[in-house]
Amino acid sequence: MAIAAQPQMPRVWRAETKPHKFCPGCGHGIVLKALGEAIDALDIQERTIFGCDIGCSLLSWDFFNLDTVQTHHGRTTPVLVGIKRARPELVVVSYMGDGGAYAIGAQHLVSSASRNDLVTIIVVNNTVYAMTGGQMAPTTLPGQKTETTPYGRDARLTGRPILGPELVAAIAPPGAYVARGSIANIVQLKNFIQKGLQNQLEGRGIAFIEALSSCPTNWHTNAAATWRFVEKEMTAYFPVGELRTPEEKPSGRFQEVPPYES
Amino acid sequence: MSVTFKAITTENGKGLFHLFPALCKGCGLCIEKCPVDTIGWAKQLGAFGTPVVEPGHGKPCIACKKCQLVCPDAAIWIERRDGKGRDTSLTAAPEKHVQHK
Repeated sequence: MAIAAQPQMPRVWRAETKPHKFCPGCGHGIVLKALGEAIDALDIQERTIFGCDIGCSLLSWDFFNLDTVQTHHGRTTPVLVGIKRARPELVVVSYMGDGGAYAIGAQHLVSSASRNDLVTIIVVNNTVYAMTGGQMAPTTLPGQKTETTPYGRDARLTGRPILGPELVAAIAPPGAYVARGSIANIVQLKNFIQKGLQNQLEGRGIAFIEALSSCPTNWHTNAAATWRFVEKEMTAYFPVGELRTPEEKPSGRFQEVPPYES
Repeated sequence: MSVTFKAITTENGKGLFHLFPALCKGCGLCIEKCPVDTIGWAKQLGAFGTPVVEPGHGKPCIACKKCQLVCPDAAIWIERRDGKGRDTSLTAAPEKHVQHK
């Protein structure tokens, strides 16, 4: 009997589908590692539903040993809110990319935030539409070169990048948890996701976590340039940290409306 | 775990560097994150036909496990040679050894 070294994957990962379908250096693997560790820490594998969106995030459909549903752009959130309302004992995780969440499916995010639905939303922001070949996304940084902005994004023509967590934090009622993490700090990102899942477990309201991620394939960067872009340029525009915590006092604009419970 | 992965184990510095070539896609994120620059490209090829990584290129390994944490494919496992050690998981889950004949 020899004890062979085995990869240290989170328990909730499915080892038989590894290596996973993402490109080399993709940040999805790191975000899903943080999510897997958070699910392991809370021991909720048996009652978690994982929903993935259109885009690169759908490649995570066989990533976990969880019941998984894959829906259309941004509709992951309403589909999972429906599951949550029918089966309130479940924990639902809506996993989207920035294209699905902020561009094509933004109305679902806004409606869900204003309803304060009991759902944990994770948006992976890599500043491009990665699956279709690296076109400009709402989160593309000013001056960043993509397939459709070969001279760099011009903010006068196409506006400023969307700040998703700030948007949700502005409209979500009290009880919401909103944070932005980064793959450059995995332990912090895992703590944010765990707090987001905890917020749903305690029935306080919506949890929204944006994760700054990498796309070496479409950025055309090597490892050093990838880290430089994530740690320097992206965090300069997208500040990392918690924006809303459920402990804070409700401001006068919102009446006390508890989240929907069936 | 129903599947097992074969490891290339290299002793270096304070750690045993277990590398799983079937998982390593050769992205190089670990090389950039290593504080002592011990990780570099190896001759062996990985999952996508790209070189895998190995320790022993810079100063000896200090077993900080940053490479293990940052690897998107969980292709690296650092075992401390002195046996004690901080938990391998972010969440202090027990170490998973797979026993096979």
